[in-house]
Amino acid sequence: MIRRIRKRNAIKSQNTGHDHSYIDWCEPIPRTIEAVKIRLNEIFSDCSDFMQREIACGKKSLAKILVAYIDGFVEKRVLNQDVIRPVLNFLSNMEFQEGCCIYEWLKRCVIINSDIKEAGNMQQAVDGIVSGEVLLFIDGEDKALVIGVKAPQGRQVEEPDTEASIRGAREGFVENLLTNTTLLRKRIKNPNLKLERMQIGEQTKTDVCICYIKGIANEEIVREVRERLKKIKIDAALDTGIIEQYISDGRLSLFPTVGNSEKCDKLAAKLLEGRVAIFCDGTPYVLTVPYVFLESIQVTDDYYDHAYFATFMRLLRLAALLVSTLLPGMYVALVSFHHTVIPFKLMITLAASRQGIPFSPFIEALLMIIAFEFLREAGVRMPRPIGEALSIVGAIVLGEASVAAGIASNLMVIIVAITAICSFVVPPLIRATMLLRFILLAAANFLGFLGIAFVAVAVFIHLCRLRSFGIPYMAPFSPLTVADLKDSLVVVPIWAMVTRPRSLTPENVKRAARTKRQEAKTKL
Amino acid sequence: MTYKKTKKRVARIPIALLLVFLLLLAGCWSNRDLSEINIVTGIGLDRTEDGKILLAVQVVEPAAIQSTSSGKGKGGVMQARPVFVESYKGETVLEAVRGMLSTVDKKMFLSTAQVLILGENLLKDGMEEVLDFFQRNYEVDYRMNILAAKGVPPGEILEIEPDIDSIPATYINGTVENTILRGTVKKTILIDLLKDIGSGGKQPAIGQISKAGEKEVRTEGIAVIKNGSLVGWLDSYETRGYLLAINEVRNAIVNVPIDKGKVAMEIIRSKGRVNVVFDNDEPIMLTVKTKIEANVGGYEGKGRLDSPDNLRTLEEALEEEIKKEIMMALKKTQQEYSSDIFGFGVEVHKYHPQYWKKVKKNWDDIFSTLPVELQVDAKIRRTGLVNNPIKKDE
Repeated sequence: MIRRIRKRNAIKSQNTGHDHSYIDWCEPIPRTIEAVKIRLNEIFSDCSDFMQREIACGKKSLAKILVAYIDGFVEKRVLNQDVIRPVLNFLSNMEFQEGCCIYEWLKRCVIINSDIKEAGNMQQAVDGIVSGEVLLFIDGEDKALVIGVKAPQGRQVEEPDTEASIRGAREGFVENLLTNTTLLRKRIKNPNLKLERMQIGEQTKTDVCICYIKGIANEEIVREVRERLKKIKIDAALDTGIIEQYISDGRLSLFPTVGNSEKCDKLAAKLLEGRVAIFCDGTPYVLTVPYVFLESIQVTDDYYDHAYFATFMRLLRLAALLVSTLLPGMYVALVSFHHTVIPFKLMITLAASRQGIPFSPFIEALLMIIAFEFLREAGVRMPRPIGEALSIVGAIVLGEASVAAGIASNLMVIIVAITAICSFVVPPLIRATMLLRFILLAAANFLGFLGIAFVAVAVFIHLCRLRSFGIPYMAPFSPLTVADLKDSLVVVPIWAMVTRPRSLTPENVKRAARTKRQEAKTKL
Repeated sequence: MTYKKTKKRVARIPIALLLVFLLLLAGCWSNRDLSEINIVTGIGLDRTEDGKILLAVQVVEPAAIQSTSSGKGKGGVMQARPVFVESYKGETVLEAVRGMLSTVDKKMFLSTAQVLILGENLLKDGMEEVLDFFQRNYEVDYRMNILAAKGVPPGEILEIEPDIDSIPATYINGTVENTILRGTVKKTILIDLLKDIGSGGKQPAIGQISKAGEKEVRTEGIAVIKNGSLVGWLDSYETRGYLLAINEVRNAIVNVPIDKGKVAMEIIRSKGRVNVVFDNDEPIMLTVKTKIEANVGGYEGKGRLDSPDNLRTLEEALEEEIKKEIMMALKKTQQEYSSDIFGFGVEVHKYHPQYWKKVKKNWDDIFSTLPVELQVDAKIRRTGLVNNPIKKDE
């Protein structure tokens, strides 16, 4: 079946050629303004936001200039001050002769703008217009000037909702690619921070940016990212999520092999460890590759805080991960198979809570977990103000009433609640644990602990086999990289982390000088 | 994806499916919900006059226990009984266990049984058949406590309704644990009993239980077994002597009479060892060596306790008392019961295997005839916070 899907995809990608394209690949720009106007009106027919203005001016003979742009993209005040006024002044003051290279003059010394490019054909010109630049067509030239006077777009930089942290920067990425790269550049002031730009999407022409630090990131990985991105042939790349699915390794795996983040400081740290980031215009989520399992329990707070505390939190997160996947399955296995391992007093409690429940533990657990997933999904989708109502309904109806009605046992409510809480501790793996939970539940109902063991082993084999851009998913545990254990389940103080993670095979491993701590020698 | 890899995957899918089906074959075979089993807490076994096995089983009602523990004092509402006792007669233990299913609604779950109480009649007839069942059954917890009921059928003990604990079996176990701290009962768990019976050279002894009132039991003393049958009982003092000899006393209170009044002493550490002295490959004497450390807990006498001389006298008095207890136990087992519950035979077996082969069959008779030497060494460690008794010298 998988192969069939692949085959179909292959056929599809052949079909999507240039049939959508509105322009010949290298249609020249007509030399007369009238012709340009006609062509542009043809291309932008029914585009109400398309603006053009013709300037005709000059002392002796009229020099005709056409300004074309998309309304709303462009800062009009800047356009008027820095482009149109100087041009008008220049044309009206200057002795204009036939044959004089007005184009070069405009480009070199008239237009007050740092961002000027050239468009050599119609395709480039139109691309410039749709991506928000101002196009200046000059009568008699087969080139046009592309002037960047984009108005700042989108929302302000604010704290991301998805990744809260106690310490650390509050800045999060926004939808604007340029703002995002600027935020990053602000943190890593280094020309080695490379930002390679490309476009993805036949229709959307989305700007995508590969970002890495030359000299740290492994060149092989960078090349791999570049190649995988180039292979993407889709009509729209609306979010990095779409790109992620195209470039990730284990395409059918439950576990994510591409990371994403909304936080600038987190991204900077990832880049400095030797990872590669992928920005995409229009989304605040930035992808990072390679992504290993360990990253899902790492948070930036670990590095800003005391090492003891960080270690404890790491272990806590791991425990939460295990609990959220295993607990319902374990419970079902215990109450339906392995009564002997339950301590006697607990057994009485369990049996008492199970008494009178019409469903088997498996069905009961399934119902409760699905009910919780309903709640969660509703909580995500519904408009914010209704949130409180939902949580009340959820807590009272599911928690109290279902127990009172004898549909679910007290203990099951507790177990589902703990499972739910724990699942939120490790956000990157919420999806994976959610599905695994069901699988484990079914396995536990079939074979008890044996079934759980089977599934767990299968999952571990899968995890150990998985790779992300050539890096083993379970690194640094499997294969074991002893030096990297400093930042795994145990976190050593930051002054002791003198090397970058070796498992990511960075070009330059050394991160900090191995300095002796300067203890205060002077006593006050 | 390369061609080679794709080819491999084709072979993998059917294999994976086959493996999954294999699992389904085994699936669910012991899937029993907790609410579908009767949680057994205590088992009582006795023999009726017509030679049948009388099985009494104590089953808890979890819901009732929950409501008694959480809803006490609601008043007026009729509380359900937290446990019920089912009895059934059968030719064999297994038949009785299975036959009982005809009168109850759920399967009996024996793994949670905490006590096994054996009746006097059954013990007199021999308990090997019964133990065989418990040894074979995979569901039985080997840590189950075994007690011998003195003067009362086991079913009656299981039916008591203690005020202290809602589950009688837990209550019984608790009393055993407490009595162990006083050194007057032997805790015998199933696996130890089976080992004792299987070992040879040592006859088993089982803790004794009796009714102390409508709602209480007393667990003190032991039942002496010989070759699988009950031959007699030891009272609490004799039991303590016995336990001191075989090094199983953790803690005990000994009252030592002195010239005027009594001293209560708490044994805090004790070490006992039995041995058999051989001469010319013939056993000539049984020896028991016991070392005891004790604290003074209460003193009714006069005179200070702070001088070494005074303490030495106290120690000697304690030694005498201990000697008396051990001697009582030894005499009774040698002369009345002729059963080597001390395990002298084990020593013989270990160090004189040739001789042991000859006498294995009638060791208990030889045991009964051998003279005994006791060595008790008592030390007093602490005399409490006061040096002088409140009562002053005249």
